[in-house]
Amino acid sequence: MATVELKNLRKNFGSFVALEGLNLSIEDGEFLVLLGPSGCGKSTTMRLVAGLEDPSGGDILIGGSRVNEIPARDRDLAMVFQNYALYPHMTVGENISYPLKIARVPKTERLRRAKDAAAKVEMDHLLTRRPAELSGGQRQRVALARAIVRTPRLFLMDEPLSNLDAKLRTVMRAELKHLQKELSTTTIYVTHDQVEAMTLADRIVILNNAVIQQMGTPAEIYARPANTFVAGFIGSPPMNLISGAVSGGMFTHKGGTMQVGTADGAVTLGVRPEDIALSHGDADIMGKVYSSELLGDCTLVNVRVGDSLVAAKVGADEGMEMDTPVGLKLRQERLHFFDTDSGNRRET
Amino acid sequence: MTQSATTRWILIGFQLLLALFVLLPFFWMVSVSLKPATEPFAIPARLWPQAPTLENYVTAFRPEFRTYFMNSLIVSGASVLITVSLGLLAAYSFTRGRLLVITALMGLVVLAQMFPHSAIIIPFYKLMRSVDLLNTYASLILAYVSVTLPVAVWMLRGFLQKLPVSLEEAAAIDGAAPLRIFWEIVVPLARPGIIATSVYVLIVTWQEFLFALSFTSTKDMRTLPVGLNDFIGQYGIRYGELMASSVMVSVPVIAVFFFLQRYFVAGLTAGAVKG
Repeated sequence: MATVELKNLRKNFGSFVALEGLNLSIEDGEFLVLLGPSGCGKSTTMRLVAGLEDPSGGDILIGGSRVNEIPARDRDLAMVFQNYALYPHMTVGENISYPLKIARVPKTERLRRAKDAAAKVEMDHLLTRRPAELSGGQRQRVALARAIVRTPRLFLMDEPLSNLDAKLRTVMRAELKHLQKELSTTTIYVTHDQVEAMTLADRIVILNNAVIQQMGTPAEIYARPANTFVAGFIGSPPMNLISGAVSGGMFTHKGGTMQVGTADGAVTLGVRPEDIALSHGDADIMGKVYSSELLGDCTLVNVRVGDSLVAAKVGADEGMEMDTPVGLKLRQERLHFFDTDSGNRRET
Repeated sequence: MTQSATTRWILIGFQLLLALFVLLPFFWMVSVSLKPATEPFAIPARLWPQAPTLENYVTAFRPEFRTYFMNSLIVSGASVLITVSLGLLAAYSFTRGRLLVITALMGLVVLAQMFPHSAIIIPFYKLMRSVDLLNTYASLILAYVSVTLPVAVWMLRGFLQKLPVSLEEAAAIDGAAPLRIFWEIVVPLARPGIIATSVYVLIVTWQEFLFALSFTSTKDMRTLPVGLNDFIGQYGIRYGELMASSVMVSVPVIAVFFFLQRYFVAGLTAGAVKG
């Protein structure tokens, strides 16, 4: 177990800037998720911590010691790869015990620990199989067992669930979370899936264009997104962002006018679908129903307002016909305001 | 894509014709090797001997043949071992190396394949003479390694390019040093490529004639292809024994190729298309 500190970390691939002055501290035992779209620099950050890439500048500290020049093999960490990276010519048992073999752990001890690790992920009955004979979920478990077999200082997980089907992903997510809490090992987890980030993380770091956009607990980020990028990235379905202008406390947009408590100027109003209700009387936004999707416990109504769509999560029995005129009422205390030019959050 | 029955039969017909064209000389070689001394030129010619005999094999399998066989075995075996070992190391560097100079060097390797043997044999001969290596195994092994290495590197590179780099990264994270990664991860996974390349080097060196004839001068250093010349005398050619020897020379390579052909075919096409 260890703390991790990244100080002004930079990485360039030729003229392409993959990471620009990243500063980040990770607590001992923390489950930190790096979240962002493809090419945002999250995997690069992980590979730099792992020692698989050399930084162009800045420092990486693990357990308080600078590790920039220390090769991956000596950093005492374990990594689960997106494609699992199991050795195809070795059995499950040999795969799991390989790190111990390298560490010259005696054979009997090695076998015992490999069996224990396999048991933790319920794979101890398949120790003699080869990776080619396993399903995607089983391979994923073997990769996990290989990571936990030697209690490293740090776990690195690079989109380990992305190759699994939706159902298995949910199961494995719960198992991962349970395992990490049980072992209390500092974990850096990379994903582009915000649901995975929200459910697994103690703390989320959202990256875009090689720069940190926001970091905080999942609840903090969900409740107070720092900018329009984060607001549009977190939440399923994501937050509605409505462009308009505030003048004299009135927000005017293509679907109507409403009273708001923010300063004058070009403003993007953010409101989550669950903070919108259908209104039959006084409405903040007027539009026409574009689509109505029953999700089981609720209905997602997409309303065309001007040239954009506003999503509202309403009761399961509140579905509406297409093109029906509809009024939407927004929960005033749950509105978010962003400066349209900078995209940054406005404090009201 | 589906084929009509007619197209399929036409294709099969062409394949049979091609097989016949390629295999007829081999069949004739075996047939002549089993004919008594008087029959090879009998008219009308027979495809198969009237009274097959192993007499030619008994005569051909003389002590010299065994010496030639051992020489071929030593020279080809050593060439395979050295070429594949060096080729694997070079191919690994060419596959994983990030420096531009490595790409340029790969171009030189391709260039090296473009010179015909007959063009380089004289410089080679002079080199061997200057270091006093003529009429030794070393002269042939060095020459064979130099002519087979470029193709070997090319073939092995095709295989190594297909290995996911994440396996080597995983091993590095697991604590393995570069040499260990190469030995325990890369080499076992490149086994099909190693086998294919070994078969290629074996075929080339086992049948090589020009270097072997030029670099060896005594009977005790000759290899099988040169040894076959013994049956071509001043007053005639002993076809029966020559063909019997040819069969015995061909059998080991055919056997190796027969058992390992799937690796060889894969080796030639590795990396040809995006996986």
